Amino acid sequence: MLDQKITELQSEIDRILPAISTTDALEKFRIEFLSRSGKLASLYEALKTVPGDQKPAYGQKINTLKKSVEAQFELLKESLQSSFSEQKNDIDITLPGRERPRGTRHPITQTLEHMKSIFVSMGFGIVYGPEIEDDYHNFEALNFAPNHPARDMQDTFFVKDDIVLRTHTTPVQVRVMKSRPLPLRVIMPGRVYRNEAVSARSNYFFHQVDGLYVDKNVTFADLKGTLVTFAKNFYGSDIKYRFRPSYFPFTEPSLEMDITCFLCKGNGCRICKQSGWLEVLGAGMVHPNVLRNCGHDPEKVSGYAFGMGVDRISLLRYGIDDIRIFFENDLRFLNQF
Amino acid sequence: MRISYNWLRQYIDLNNSIEDVAQTLTSLGLEVESIDHLGKKFEGFFVGEVLDSQRHPNADRLKLCKVRVSNEGDPLQIVCGAPNVAVGQKVIVGVVGTTVPHNQHDPGAKPFVLSKVSIRGVESYGMICSENELGIGDDASGIKVLESGAQIGTPLADYLGVNDIALEIGITPNRPDCLSHLGIARDLAAALNTKCISPKVKRFDNPKNSVTELAKVNVLNTADCPRYTVRIIQNVEVKESPEWMKRLLNAAGLRPINNVVDATNFVMLEYGQPLHAFDYDHLAQHTIVVKSADKGEKFTSLDGKVHELSGDELMICDGEKSVAIGGVMGGLNSEISAKTSTVLLEAAYFSPVSVRKTAKRLGISTDASFRFERGIDPNITDEASARAAHLIAELSGGTVVAGIIDHYPKKISEKNIALRADRVNAILGTSLTVQQIVKFLASIGINITPGKEKNEFICSIPTFRPDIDQEIDLVEEVARLYGYDNIENKTSGEVMFSAPEHFEQQVFSVRHWCESNGLNEVLTNSLIDTPTAKIFGSDLVTVKNPLSVELETLRPTLLATMLQTIAYNYNHGVSRLHLFEIGTVFSAAVGNIKSTYIEGYKEKNCIGICLSGESNLLSWHEKQRQVDLFDLKGLVLSLLRGIGLDNSDLIYYNAPTSLTEMTIGVEINNTYIGFLGKVKPESLKKFKIEHNVFFAEIDLDLLTKLQSARSYKGFSKFPTVTRDVSFIVKKSVSVGEIEKVMKLAGGLQVTAVTLFDLFEGPALGEGMKSVAFSLKINSIEKTLTDAEIDSMITVIVQSVTKTFEATLRSI
Ligand SMILES: [Zn+2]
Repeated sequence: MLDQKITELQSEIDRILPAISTTDALEKFRIEFLSRSGKLASLYEALKTVPGDQKPAYGQKINTLKKSVEAQFELLKESLQSSFSEQKNDIDITLPGRERPRGTRHPITQTLEHMKSIFVSMGFGIVYGPEIEDDYHNFEALNFAPNHPARDMQDTFFVKDDIVLRTHTTPVQVRVMKSRPLPLRVIMPGRVYRNEAVSARSNYFFHQVDGLYVDKNVTFADLKGTLVTFAKNFYGSDIKYRFRPSYFPFTEPSLEMDITCFLCKGNGCRICKQSGWLEVLGAGMVHPNVLRNCGHDPEKVSGYAFGMGVDRISLLRYGIDDIRIFFENDLRFLNQF
Repeated sequence: MRISYNWLRQYIDLNNSIEDVAQTLTSLGLEVESIDHLGKKFEGFFVGEVLDSQRHPNADRLKLCKVRVSNEGDPLQIVCGAPNVAVGQKVIVGVVGTTVPHNQHDPGAKPFVLSKVSIRGVESYGMICSENELGIGDDASGIKVLESGAQIGTPLADYLGVNDIALEIGITPNRPDCLSHLGIARDLAAALNTKCISPKVKRFDNPKNSVTELAKVNVLNTADCPRYTVRIIQNVEVKESPEWMKRLLNAAGLRPINNVVDATNFVMLEYGQPLHAFDYDHLAQHTIVVKSADKGEKFTSLDGKVHELSGDELMICDGEKSVAIGGVMGGLNSEISAKTSTVLLEAAYFSPVSVRKTAKRLGISTDASFRFERGIDPNITDEASARAAHLIAELSGGTVVAGIIDHYPKKISEKNIALRADRVNAILGTSLTVQQIVKFLASIGINITPGKEKNEFICSIPTFRPDIDQEIDLVEEVARLYGYDNIENKTSGEVMFSAPEHFEQQVFSVRHWCESNGLNEVLTNSLIDTPTAKIFGSDLVTVKNPLSVELETLRPTLLATMLQTIAYNYNHGVSRLHLFEIGTVFSAAVGNIKSTYIEGYKEKNCIGICLSGESNLLSWHEKQRQVDLFDLKGLVLSLLRGIGLDNSDLIYYNAPTSLTEMTIGVEINNTYIGFLGKVKPESLKKFKIEHNVFFAEIDLDLLTKLQSARSYKGFSKFPTVTRDVSFIVKKSVSVGEIEKVMKLAGGLQVTAVTLFDLFEGPALGEGMKSVAFSLKINSIEKTLTDAEIDSMITVIVQSVTKTFEATLRSI
């Protein structure tokens, strides 16, 4: 009996409600069905006549119906009101919105911030050092012997005979190893200078990130693991990589890491000079001479260090073919990032 | 280092593909940068025979040829313009689809691809080529005619015998031993577990040392020249080298010169030992003296350049004069020439430091100096000299004089270094066995004997490896031969947390605030020209060896280079420039300026903000206007508040800075951290900028030292009342002063004073202005009654009218 009443009322509402298109008609609906003396209220009256044990089941059914009708009612009410006001104001909503000017961060900064965030998540702190540096920190403490051809790897600007514009961010390693307690796990970003002719492929200054971890029992295997974790985070988990023995005066053993060229997927292209590989960083175990120079006993502690060029990686990342465009700061360029 | 694959295979059996070999070399740290198949550029060219040659029906100068390039099928019809083409010739034919290396008719001699073309109504299916077009000679006057025995259909690469592969290998400065084919073969053999076979060098059985009768050697500077040897070859005929020699040298990237010089170069590329051949008859008294140069001495090197010597250079002299710069370059006065009949062959070991200093000072880098600087094997000298002497004799028909003059007073012997097996594994994170370690080291010629401790060895390092100097270097050798890829990528370890430092966090906030508020970040040059730098700063820091005068001085402010950027963008049609840069500025630390890191220099991390051109975007709802000082002032204040520095204060002063006028200082907690203002017209003129530029520079080192911890303060639960009040005051009265007085008079219950209208006009009277403020008033304790508010307003109005002789306009 009550079952039937509920079903009937439901279908009646389903028939009437969707057809309503004015606020007046909606108000009429409200009075007829939802008011205190409306048809839904009368169902609650009828509920009183149902045997006690069936009351909860029916009660729930009526409640569900009531909630659903109320929700539909509110929705309809809102949409009628808004369409009403629109008609009244006659606004051309295709007019352009009031836009805010868009700012940008430099693409090199964006690359650097991405790198920083990965290293911070891996437990590295961030420290800085000077751009005007002395020969001791830039070369001597890093195991560059005077008159060794290794110095040719980095053409240097001199401010004085023994004061240079740093050629890498590695001197910051010396500074932190001398000034901070172990264990030490930091990255060192910054601008560096090389006395090289400016061309599409090289600029006289660029940006580097050095990394350093010194502690008891740090191994080459730890270094490789860290670099792989970083590379997968930064370049994508599906990259292929390889490690090659290399040479830096301040690390031994030293390595360079290549990843498969992300432009040609390793098939060989102009960017990777047909090799299919892109060199992305250099690294190695901190040379015992460097540890000693910084006041640490290489028999007791060991460490790894790595370094990478932010500008070159940005070039590859965004498919830019001329490094000079980074520092022209043409707004047509900057606004693409 | 360029390596010929054919050459390399003389010392090592290689059955692997070239790609495999390249990969092995790379995994050894001898990075193969490119693989150049030398015959590849000749693909598509074949030996052909001209069967028929008729005049072209429509062109007098062209010939219509039939050329057979294969023993099967029809001959090709080719239109040829060369004057020398004739029936019966064996020629080089490029078929359709082939790339011709040089276009003779193109000024840039660019390559081009042959296609089937119709030339004056006749089809042509290829091209008969000249030497020049193929890059195998200079003759461009006509087609290259081959010897008559050439086989039709032979690919050109095979005909020319060009089947070699050149490997470009990047040799790091620590591996001088690999600046030779034998050195690379030795490392490769170790990795491939095979043998490296050195060439067989002839020796004399005759014990007589005849050479000492023909020449004398006197080494006066043994520090810079620890070893000097001489051999003599008589009755030589200087001429072109044979094909095999020229091919190998060419493949390795050296231009053949003559048989004597080629033989010395060959042995240098074979052993890594640079050699020098003198014309014996040009050496006064047939004597060699090795000594330091005379100060001020002038010397003409082989390349014809005249060098003035400082006195520190090591010179090779004869009985009268200098004949070579030791280890760097020979002299013009003793050069091998077509007339040479006796050769004095020098093979020496020069001190790396001495050669490097000399080469640097004279600005010369040669294949010889490059090797000496890095350190050659002092004990290979004799063998390399014998090898070269016999090669010269063989190529020139000469005879080697028995014996050698070998001045080697103090033998450089093998170094002994102790290695602990445990240490290897501790550094690498491996668990290599003693046997493995010993095997790796033995494979590269290191002799191993047991040490004092258990698992300790004494390693005897061959003199061709000067880079191996201590235990860690041996660890690297083990890692290299074991293979970096075989070492674990360890990703588990002790957890370490890092807290970004305050500087980092604040700079991050500043940068992101600027980006979110519509500013474009720029990164500009750190070096500028000195005259410009002088406009923008004093106590400048300059570079002693700049790339150019434009890049001589470190920037004293971010403004100069930001103005460059602004000028650049105006020149490219941009009309709205809202820029910021975060970077370092530099000055000498003089007077009371404190050095930052390096004594005498100050570095500062700054943010520079430049606004110029339009303030807002072009739109339908708002008029466009140019930026003014208040855009920048508001921006800087919002930025400071945006990063949590709510207590920032702007100090109004017109103390002229060198950069701006209408300057406002920025203070936080009484710390001066920067300024903002309008860039001076003189500076703008320097960059030909015709718009106003507003510039702010804030010291981030100071800014980030300030704490910006925010804490909760209670706020009123009672309603806030807004009241407007306006005055007419003299124009000279500043709004800032009026605001101060109003706040003072209103007390804590006035929570905000906002200027919302400002105008002048004839109705107000000469020299007067109208200022209107909106006041927000509430109490933390209760709802204020109208009467209470009225009486507060009265107090405020009275203060303003009294202090500034203002007239109340409306309440
Ligand atoms: Zn590629």
